[in-house]
Amino acid sequence: MSGFSYGRDHEVVQRMRPEPMTADEERAQAAIGDLEFGIFRHKMHMIALEGKETTMKLGASTAMRWGDVAFGIFTAPGDLAVCATGIYHHAVLGQIPLKYVVRHWVNEPSVGAREGDAFFYNDPFYGGVHNADMGLAIPVFHDGRLVCFVGAAVHTGECGGAEPGGTSPHARTQYEEGLRVPPIKIGEDFQLKEDLLNMLATMTRDPRTMILDIKARLAAARIAERRIKDLIAAQGVEFFIGALRRVLTVTGAAARRRIAQLNDGIYRQPRFMDTVGTGPGLTRIHLAVIKQGDRITLDLSGTSPMVAGKPVNSFFQGIIGLAMVYFCGWLFHDLPANNGLLEAVDWRFPDDCMVNAHGEVSTSMAPVVQVCFTQGMFLCGSRMTYGGIPSHAVAAWFSGFAIPVYGGFNQFGDPIADISPEINATGSGARPDMDGVDVAGAFFATLSDCSDVESTEADRPFLYTFRNFGQRSYGHGRFRGGAGAGFGLMVHGVPGLALGGMGAGSRFPMTLGLFGGYAGPPTFLRYVEGSNLRAAMAAGGTPRPRRLDEVYEPGNPEQGRVGLHDIAMGVRPFPAGDTLYFGVGGGGGYGDALEREPQAVMRDLRDGRMTHQAAREIYQVVYDPDSLRVDEAATARWRQAVRAERLRQSRPFREFQRDWQRLRPPEPALVHYGSYPDPAVPALPAVANG
Amino acid sequence: MKVRITEYLDIDLATEQWCCNRCGRALVGARENYKHGCLVRERPLEEVHPPVVDGGEFSFCFDPDYCRLLEFCCPGCGVLIENEYLPPGHPITHDIELDIDALQRRYAAPRRDGAA
Repeated sequence: MSGFSYGRDHEVVQRMRPEPMTADEERAQAAIGDLEFGIFRHKMHMIALEGKETTMKLGASTAMRWGDVAFGIFTAPGDLAVCATGIYHHAVLGQIPLKYVVRHWVNEPSVGAREGDAFFYNDPFYGGVHNADMGLAIPVFHDGRLVCFVGAAVHTGECGGAEPGGTSPHARTQYEEGLRVPPIKIGEDFQLKEDLLNMLATMTRDPRTMILDIKARLAAARIAERRIKDLIAAQGVEFFIGALRRVLTVTGAAARRRIAQLNDGIYRQPRFMDTVGTGPGLTRIHLAVIKQGDRITLDLSGTSPMVAGKPVNSFFQGIIGLAMVYFCGWLFHDLPANNGLLEAVDWRFPDDCMVNAHGEVSTSMAPVVQVCFTQGMFLCGSRMTYGGIPSHAVAAWFSGFAIPVYGGFNQFGDPIADISPEINATGSGARPDMDGVDVAGAFFATLSDCSDVESTEADRPFLYTFRNFGQRSYGHGRFRGGAGAGFGLMVHGVPGLALGGMGAGSRFPMTLGLFGGYAGPPTFLRYVEGSNLRAAMAAGGTPRPRRLDEVYEPGNPEQGRVGLHDIAMGVRPFPAGDTLYFGVGGGGGYGDALEREPQAVMRDLRDGRMTHQAAREIYQVVYDPDSLRVDEAATARWRQAVRAERLRQSRPFREFQRDWQRLRPPEPALVHYGSYPDPAVPALPAVANG
Repeated sequence: MKVRITEYLDIDLATEQWCCNRCGRALVGARENYKHGCLVRERPLEEVHPPVVDGGEFSFCFDPDYCRLLEFCCPGCGVLIENEYLPPGHPITHDIELDIDALQRRYAAPRRDGAA
């Protein structure tokens, strides 16, 4: 091994922007016509899309089957040029492991890179997110010359560690997070190395899924390799190398032009997390988006310090990855999704804060930290874009996860550990001209799906007692957030299963509204030990409750030992027949709820997407609850009276602030926060008595 | 000339004032935080997020030890310009700090299509 000491390469993770153009790439530029380049881009995208679809069809883990797949084509120096995905963070972060391969293994005699090789990786220091995100890439050669890489990054639902399901909320250090593999060569001469597969399978709770997912990534990559070789045979290798690099160049230039259209200024959003893994605790992620000319700087100064002994930290590269979810999916949605976009973006991270982890701290719950940050990115982005491109302003898409994690054996006796696919059943944020989309997907995986319940039940030991839209799941506003999904799970077909919850937002909102729109409601979970539901069903009864709202309303006939818990709950055993209830949330609202069209409120009531309480007390509509006929004149008068009352209850800013700034959260909530309210400002030293 | 900045906020470039988009009322200087020109109230959380589980630690309402809801409205027409969920006592965010000189230059420059 040469070039650096064993362990982490802190230099390579900084290289997120495109590498300088190589001499070969530079030479090829003059011969590439615009028409040929356009056709090339289309063909490459089709190859990547085929790779994504193939990976999904062949994979076994929940996330892979339902679309949490990023399939990319990378330049020979390791930059992502073409990508098919809705999970743009993997797309952009996927290049770091390849730059590591290029730097350390291609010319290393004991490793090397040859035709038929395959590299595997899941170390979050290089992948950016967490250990459950795993990637495989292959080098593609033409006449012995490395011309590109192709590969897939996908969330495999189990990675070993202290707890099942890919996340270890009790992890105190990185050593309790499970499998951690920097890029290694896992295949040679078109064959996977069985000894390494055996090792990886042994280190996780779900060996079948682990191996099938690896083979799915490899099979898709080999198909893409064939297509690329066909293309090179038709158009020449110089054209291929030059055109692949040009994709990055044109992307960066287009991104800078788009940014130049927006108003210069500073846009800020502090974000607050209410869990430190398995218990409550407040931390702050402070984002300032500084837009000047054709560049954007992300400044994370003022963020809480690293949280020692808890898993709620993130590597900075993961934060940039999640920023790319906003850039690729929203601000630059019509540009190619590649790291050329970062030519227009700079960043500043304070040392040793929770979004710039160092040392041995755990980052197992980095996805929660990162989605918390990302919603700040969306809100800052909305304020930045409304003046120039108002259609790009959007309230936050649901971002609290709020999903089950589990481990054990399924009804066929196979070991399993994973998350449930409802991670992709969340509502999107409201916009200036429409409500958010109900159960739209996941903001970080926009091309994904939440499975049908029968498919999930087919090889998971669950019986869904219901899964449908939640009435109390979104933020209100002139336009409301899209509804999320509520669902009930009964442990079924096995003696028992270990189950827990992953997410945040039980005490402080994770999903904020925009321009006066309200946040989505809290998420938490409910379980019923010794539930009478199975006996009632065995006697021929219809499962009740039938909606998440009914679970909490009077008349719910289910009986047993009921528990309510913070959505972040470490796994615990639940025997067959026990039930658990989750609500993956909806999006944030947009605008003043008093401006919502009364008929839209009635439509929501008819569709079962809203409570009468919200119609009366938040939207202030005067209507007949039986016929749902609106009294438009009375509604207008009543809303005017409500506005007058709003004015009466409000005070001038400075007068309000005098009293407000005397408040402070209780000290137990601030244990991990840093000095309050600004973690970047050291607290005054205590004055000794006497 | 007024420039639209958010759903409820314009900037009057001539007077350099934040203005309510609904009623036109001037709120405060455009180089200040627009919230300084708003009326503010702390809205009881349970009015917007009514709890469903009585008396429990977990309901459908946020924890007031962690979170409070502030509303900023136009002193003229009472429209809700923005809200903010903050921990108790946390400084109110200056969420839009525009470079007003750059904004003036942008709108003073002749458009490429020749329109006024």
